[in-house]
Amino acid sequence: MPIQYYIYLALSLFSIGVVGVLTRRNAIIIFMCIELMLNATNLLLVAFSKMHHAVALASNTATQVGIEGQLFVFFIMVVAAAEVSVGLAIIVMMYRNTHSVDINFLNRLKN
Amino acid sequence: MIPLLLILIPVVSAILTFFLKNGNAAKNWALIASTATLIVGLYALCPVCKLEFDATWLPLLGSRFSLSLDGLSKMLVLLTAISFPVVFASTYNNEYKQSNAFYGLMLLTQAGLMGVFLASDCLLFYFFWELALIPVYFLCSIWGGEKRIAVTFKFFVYTFVGSLLMLIGILYLYFQTPDHSFAIKSFYALKLSASQQNLAFWLFFIAFAIKMPIFPLHTWQPDAYEQSPTAVTMILSGVMVKMGIYAVIRWLIPIFPSATVKYADIIIIASVIGMIYASLIAIKQDDVKRLVAYSSIAHIGLMSAVLFSLKTIGWNGVMIQMFNHGINVIGLWIVADAIEQKLGTRKFSELGGLAQKAPVLAILLVVLAFANVALPLTNAFVGEFLMFNGLFQYNFWIAGVAGISIILGAVYTLNMVQKIFYGQTVPATQNALEIKGNVQFVLIILVLVIIGFGVYPQPMIDLTKHIHP
Amino acid sequence: MNAIILSALCGVVMMFSGILLKNKSAIKYVAIAALLVLIIGNLFQFYGIYTIDIDSKGLLSFDRTGLFFNTIIFVATLAYFILSGSDIERAGPDVAEYFALIFFVLCGVTILTSFNGLLMFFIGIEILSIPLYILTGSDKKNLKSNEASLKYFLMGSFSTGILLMGITLIYGATGSFGLQSTTIKSAVTGFSSAGILAPVGLVLLFISMCFKVSAAPFHFWAPDVYDGAPSVFTSFMATIVKAAGFFAFIKLFAAKSEDFGPGPAWKLILFVIIVATLFIGNITAVFQQSVKRMLAYSSIAQAGFMLFALYSTNDFTKDGILLYTAAYSFATIGIFSILTKMEDYSLDGFNGLSKSQPVLAFTNTVFFLSLSGIPLTAGFFAKYYMLASAIKGGGSLSLVIIAVLFAAVSVYYYFKVIQAMYFKEGVAATNTPITGNFKVALIVLAAIIVILGIYPTALLGFYYF
Repeated sequence: MPIQYYIYLALSLFSIGVVGVLTRRNAIIIFMCIELMLNATNLLLVAFSKMHHAVALASNTATQVGIEGQLFVFFIMVVAAAEVSVGLAIIVMMYRNTHSVDINFLNRLKN
Repeated sequence: MIPLLLILIPVVSAILTFFLKNGNAAKNWALIASTATLIVGLYALCPVCKLEFDATWLPLLGSRFSLSLDGLSKMLVLLTAISFPVVFASTYNNEYKQSNAFYGLMLLTQAGLMGVFLASDCLLFYFFWELALIPVYFLCSIWGGEKRIAVTFKFFVYTFVGSLLMLIGILYLYFQTPDHSFAIKSFYALKLSASQQNLAFWLFFIAFAIKMPIFPLHTWQPDAYEQSPTAVTMILSGVMVKMGIYAVIRWLIPIFPSATVKYADIIIIASVIGMIYASLIAIKQDDVKRLVAYSSIAHIGLMSAVLFSLKTIGWNGVMIQMFNHGINVIGLWIVADAIEQKLGTRKFSELGGLAQKAPVLAILLVVLAFANVALPLTNAFVGEFLMFNGLFQYNFWIAGVAGISIILGAVYTLNMVQKIFYGQTVPATQNALEIKGNVQFVLIILVLVIIGFGVYPQPMIDLTKHIHP
Repeated sequence: MNAIILSALCGVVMMFSGILLKNKSAIKYVAIAALLVLIIGNLFQFYGIYTIDIDSKGLLSFDRTGLFFNTIIFVATLAYFILSGSDIERAGPDVAEYFALIFFVLCGVTILTSFNGLLMFFIGIEILSIPLYILTGSDKKNLKSNEASLKYFLMGSFSTGILLMGITLIYGATGSFGLQSTTIKSAVTGFSSAGILAPVGLVLLFISMCFKVSAAPFHFWAPDVYDGAPSVFTSFMATIVKAAGFFAFIKLFAAKSEDFGPGPAWKLILFVIIVATLFIGNITAVFQQSVKRMLAYSSIAQAGFMLFALYSTNDFTKDGILLYTAAYSFATIGIFSILTKMEDYSLDGFNGLSKSQPVLAFTNTVFFLSLSGIPLTAGFFAKYYMLASAIKGGGSLSLVIIAVLFAAVSVYYYFKVIQAMYFKEGVAATNTPITGNFKVALIVLAAIIVILGIYPTALLGFYYF
C-alpha cells in the first residue's frame, strides 16, 4: 500500500485528537484525545520504518535500516504508560476534591 | 596608581560607612574620606605624575580596566573631588535617618562619577555610568520629599532607557572594531560609514541628552531636583549633569565626526530653545530650588549648543564652564538649603529683608548670584566669554538668541536676591539669625574660588589645552 | 554518563530514605549529601578524571558545554535545597518523595544536555516533565494546586503529542533520528508533497518546545501553573527546569534550523515570537498585585531574552545561555526562598521589610537588580551576552532596541518590590522565624551574583580553562 494512505490516516487521527483536546471539557476525554494523538504517531512511525526498510532492502538484503523507527514506538508506549499513571492519579485527586472531572469546574470554584 | 586611588578611596570608605552604627561617626568618616579624595585629586594636577592605570578585567570580552587622566578629566575629577567635602561640610548639621546608609551611598555615587570621568574603556565607562545612577536612585527615594517615589522613578527610568540604548551603541561599535576591543583608542580609530554613524550617533546621544538634559528630554529634572534631599541635589546639578557633557566631548564627537556635523544644527536649535524656555520658566518660579533647577537647564543648554558648534575656543569655554558652573550652582544650593533649614520655607513670597538679619549670607549670595549671571571678575565670565566667542563664530543669530538668555538669567537671579534679602522683613524672617559657622566657612571658600579664578583664569585655560585621550 | 546514572541512583536512594528515616531534616541532609556526590561525579567527568562509560550506541554524546551546564544546574539546585529545604519539609508529608522526584527531574536535565538524537531528546523531555506534574499537584487539598497540576499535565502531554508528530515527520523525510541528518531522502515516493514533511515536522517540534519553555503565544498555561503550584516548587520549575528546557531547545535547533531552508523565514518567526514573548510577559507583569504571579509573568519575559540565543547562533550564545542560566536561576531561587517565608504574597506584604528584616530586604534587592539587568550584578552580563550575540549576527538592531525597551519596562515591576521594601511604611511579617543560617546562605548567594556581575570570567573561566 502506498505510503500516502498511512500519512493521511495518521494525520486524520492526529487532527481528531488535537481538535478533541481543544474543544472538549471533560478531563478524561481530553486525556483520551491525547492518547489518540500518540497512537497516530505510532502508526505513522511504523509505516515510515517499513518504508525506509523496503527502500534499503533493494540494495542490501541484510540491512537493518528502519529498525529504529519501530524501536521508538516501544519507547513511546512506555512513556505513554507512565504518563497515564500520573495523569489518572491527578484526575482522581481532582475528582476527590470536586466530585467532577470538568476542567472548567475548577475555574468556577476559584472565582 | 592615582586614578585608581580616586575610585578606590570612595568605594572602600563607602563599604566601611555602611557598617558604622553611629550616625555621627558615619558623617565624620565620610567627610574625612572625601577630603582624602580631594587631596589625591589635587595631587593629580601635578604635571609629572603617572596618570594612567591599566589592568586585566574581562579578557574574554576584550575589555580592560583602564583609567587615564588628561586635562578634561582633571577638570571634572577636581570638581567631583571638591564638591563632595563641600556638600558634606555644608550639610553637616542636617540629620538623616540611617545616616550610615546615606553617607555610604553618597560615597558610592562619588566613586561612580570619578569612574565616568576616568574610564578610557567604553564598557568600563558604561559600568561607572550606571554605578553613578543606582545610589542616587536610593538616596532620592529614601530621603527625598513627599512625591519622591514617583519622581525619582521617573528620573531612573529616563536615564536607564538612555543608558540601555547607549549599551546597544557600544556593542555595535565593539563589533566594528577589528580587534574586538572596548578601548577608547580602538573606538577612535574606527572608520564608520555615514549610515553607521548616523544610527549609532543617536543611540549614544539620547543617553547623554537625557543626562544633561537637553530640551525636550529635560522633564525629569526640575521635579527630581525639587524632591531630592538638598545634598543630593547639589551633586545632581553640580556634578552629575556634567557627565552628559563630558561624554559628548570624550566619546560622541570624536567617534562620530560626520554624524555630529550632520545633526549639529538640530541639536543646537533644541538646546537654544531649551535655554530660552527654561529661563522664561525660571522667571515665573516662586521656589528657590525650582529656580536654580531651571537656571541649570539654561546653563547646560548653552554648553551643549557651544559644544555642537565645534569651535575650539568655544570648547575651551565649555570645559572651564563645566567646573565653574558646578562650583556656582553648589554655592546657590547651599544658600537655598541654609534658608530652608532656618526658616522652613523656600518661597520668595514668604521671605524678605533677610540681609538685615544675616548680612554675611547676603554678601556671599550676591557674589554667587553675580557668578551665576557671569559678571566680569567672577569665574563664570571667562567661560561664558569664550563660549559666546565660539558661538558667534558659528552663527551670529543663534548666538544672539542665546544671548537673550543671559539677560533673562540676570533678571531672575537678581530678582531672587532682591526678593529674599532686601525690602521689608516679613514675619518669617523676623527672628532669623546668621548662618552657622561651617556653612559660612564653605561658602567663603567657594566665593574665594569664584573670585580667584575670575581674576586669574590662566591655570584653567592651560588645563583645557591638554586633551589627549 | 556519570551525572545521568548518579542522579537516577540518588532518586532511588531518596525514595528509600523515606522508609528508613523518620526525621524530616535528616532527609534534607541526605538530599544535600546526595547532590554533592552528584556534583562531584559530574566534575569528575568534566575534568576527565573518571567516567562511567556505557556504550550508548551514539544516542548520547558528552561535550564540555553540556557538562558545564549540568554543573550550573546542580549548583543552583544545591542553593535551592539549602535555601528552600525547610519549605520542602513543610510542603507535605512525603518529603523524601519530593526530593526523589527532584532528582529524577535532574536526571532528565542531564539527558537533555547530552542527547545526540531525537530519541534521547524525547526521553529527556519526558523524564523532566512527569515528576513535575506530581510536584505541582503535591498540595493535594488545595484546589489551585489541583488545577495547576491538571492544566500542566494536559498541556504537557498535548505538547508531547505535537513533539512526537514532529519527530515522526522528520523521520519520514530523512530516515534517521540523528541530529545532523539534513539530507532529505527521496524514499517518500508516491506522496505528491513529500518535500513538505521535514519543514512541517520542524514547525511542530518548534511549537511544542515553545510550549515547554512558555514562549508566547504558547505561554498561557504558565502563569496559572506557576501561581497554583506550591511556591517552593514553582521556584524549581521556573528556574532549573525552564533553563534546561531552553538548553535542549537551543541544542536541538542549532543543529536543525537549516532544515527550514535558508534564513529569512526562520528568523522572522523567531523575531515575532521573541517580541510577542517580551511584550506579553512584561506588560502583563506590570499589572500584577501578587509578587508570585508577577514572577510567573517575569519568567515569561526572561524567556524572551533567552530566546535570543536561538535567534543568533554564534560563539556568544553558548556563553550567554550559561551565564543567563546561572544569573537567572540564582536570583529567582533567592527571591522565591524569601517569598515563601512571607506571610502575604502581595506587593503590600513586602512593605517595610527593610526595617523588620534588613538582610532579607538587602539580598532581595540584589536579586531583583540582577533580574532587571543592572550592572554590577550577574544579570547584566547575562543580558549583555544575549544582546551582543544578536548584534553580532548583524541586521537585527531593531530587535535589540525593542528588547531593551522591554527591559526598561521590567524595571518598573521589579522595582515596585524594592520600593515596597525600602520606601514604604509597613510591617512585613514572615510566617516562620528567620534563622541565622538562612541569612548567611542568602548573603552568600547575593555575593555570588555580585561577583559574577563584576567578574563574569569567574564563571566562564571554569568553562574555558
